[in-house]
Amino acid sequence: MTRLNSNQIIALLLALFSVGYLAMAWQIPQFPLPRPIDSDLFPKVLGFTLLGLAVLLFFEAPAAGEPQPDGDSAESSETLLLRPWSRVVVTAIALAAYALLLVPVGFVLASTALCFGLGCYYGYRRHAVNLATSLGVVLTLYLTLTRVMGVYLPTGLLPF
Amino acid sequence: MDAFNNLIYGFSIALDPINIFYVFAGVFAGTVIGMLPGLGPISALALMIPLTFGMEPSSGLILMAGVYYGAIFGGSTSSILLNAPGVAGTVATSFDGYPLAKQGQAGKALAIAAYASFIGGTISIIFLMLVAPLLGRVAVSFGPAEYFSLMVLGLTAVVSLSDKSLVKGLIAAVVGVMISIMGIDLQTGTERFTFGTVHLLDGIDFLVVALGIFALAEVFYMLLRGGGGKEQPRNAIGSLRLTKQEVRQIAPPIGRSSILGFFTGVLPGAGATIGSFLGYSMEKRLAKDGDTFGKGNIKGVAAPESANNAACTGSFVPLLTLGVPGSGSTAVLLGALLVMGVSPGPAMLVDRPDVFWGVVASMYLGNIFLLVLNLPLIPLIAKILDLPRPLLLALILIFCMVGVYGMSFSVFDLLLLLGFGLLGLGMRLFGFPAAPLILALILGSIMEESMRRALQISGGDWSIFIDKPISLALLVVAALSLTLPLLRKFRAR
Repeated sequence: MTRLNSNQIIALLLALFSVGYLAMAWQIPQFPLPRPIDSDLFPKVLGFTLLGLAVLLFFEAPAAGEPQPDGDSAESSETLLLRPWSRVVVTAIALAAYALLLVPVGFVLASTALCFGLGCYYGYRRHAVNLATSLGVVLTLYLTLTRVMGVYLPTGLLPF
Repeated sequence: MDAFNNLIYGFSIALDPINIFYVFAGVFAGTVIGMLPGLGPISALALMIPLTFGMEPSSGLILMAGVYYGAIFGGSTSSILLNAPGVAGTVATSFDGYPLAKQGQAGKALAIAAYASFIGGTISIIFLMLVAPLLGRVAVSFGPAEYFSLMVLGLTAVVSLSDKSLVKGLIAAVVGVMISIMGIDLQTGTERFTFGTVHLLDGIDFLVVALGIFALAEVFYMLLRGGGGKEQPRNAIGSLRLTKQEVRQIAPPIGRSSILGFFTGVLPGAGATIGSFLGYSMEKRLAKDGDTFGKGNIKGVAAPESANNAACTGSFVPLLTLGVPGSGSTAVLLGALLVMGVSPGPAMLVDRPDVFWGVVASMYLGNIFLLVLNLPLIPLIAKILDLPRPLLLALILIFCMVGVYGMSFSVFDLLLLLGFGLLGLGMRLFGFPAAPLILALILGSIMEESMRRALQISGGDWSIFIDKPISLALLVVAALSLTLPLLRKFRAR
């Protein structure tokens, strides 16, 4: 069986998505008063358009340089945590944790920890400079936003 | 002569020492706020409203106008240096500005942005002064059908920019429109695609998507390409000086894009974003070296920068002469004017000439201030590139998170930002252009509203879009903008 290329896989995913989207569009309730067009028309047009485009994409050859499912993944001598994809995954997890801990821990602590932690993780070894920069930038942002612009940011564990 | 006399009268107001101070304070605050990814002109203007309470309306508008075009001007800096446009109007600037910065020519890109913005702003003020009443009459003739067709043209113009694959560009645009219509339908109050969560009732904010798709995705992409731990080459800023040949290269695009940008800005609903994309698109088509656009072509910085500043001035035409805001930012300005007791509209030129002509004259001063303020500061601003790459990446992430949280105070939005960052990474990896998605996101809901209003008027008859000559012309141009690149490709084969 012939293997699917990246465009064909994305096209199938998009087709599935558009079918789901259309199913949801059909569930949009009708407005009680009769109108020439209702809230569901535009989403239906969009759903069918995306489905059509997915079909076109299925038959389009991928451009050179795009990653392929059977492509060689570059083996790296780096440890698992320092491989490129691991960096993306760890950063995404760190950002999700930051989002969830921002309110209970507070802006200053959470942001400094994120900035310092990621700086270290990405390979910056001058820890004192890293901490000073992270804390300095975060405090400047915090004071500017809260004291000058009147924007509320969570204090969390700190009293201010 | 009338316009000249009125301008003299305007200068008598703008040159009042307190108003000179307001112009300076406005452009300075706007530039600084616009530079920060996540804080665009709308936030800056909204923050200024309380300051204008009790001010003379002319002074209040002079201050806020300065903030507005200062923020557009400042937005180019984060686009060029960080590929993180906090302002929609400077998204197109990042297409070539950021590649130039990566090639060690950040100083040059910032200098071009400064000159182009200054010239675009100045040319458009002359237009604003001379032809405002006339253009107001043209803009008022635009009904919902024309607006819809204009939005379609705006989208197709951007989709046609995606060289690699028209299909992928169209898919990105459709997804952008899909995102834009999430939330409560303003015409019927019906919930659409909210998945039962209150967080999506107001839809998804532009900033969340823009910062995710551009800034966060850029960080992820750099990490994936192994750029996380590497230091960038020294002398990354480069010279600010332009050679004579470079000046000759950028002069025609600046002139053309300034005029195009102004006229785009005049049309309500269009504004700096469409103006900058159209300017970029036009220059890409006209240029002999169009294939180098997106890879660091200086014309790709000059065109959108002059167009967005010109459009910013142009958007004052419908605001001041019709009372119709041309963009989200001018909508905030309209609100501020109403708070100050001034109702913009056709009668304003007669009833409150001090406000109209005072603002026009203050714009000349503001543009000079912007240039004087920004050129000497460019080397200082560009120092941001000297930061060690690991620290810079971590700081960009913090700026993105703060920008989104400071706007919505929502943890849900932070998670959405992350989701869009990953989506943006996928789009980059598989050759889906981000620009059509962003523009569709901005235009999508306006497009739907215009379409439905037009069909409401016609009783559901779709021929309204081709019966109206302006609408038909816009749709024909939109169709051509999609088909011509295809025909060109076939001919090339």
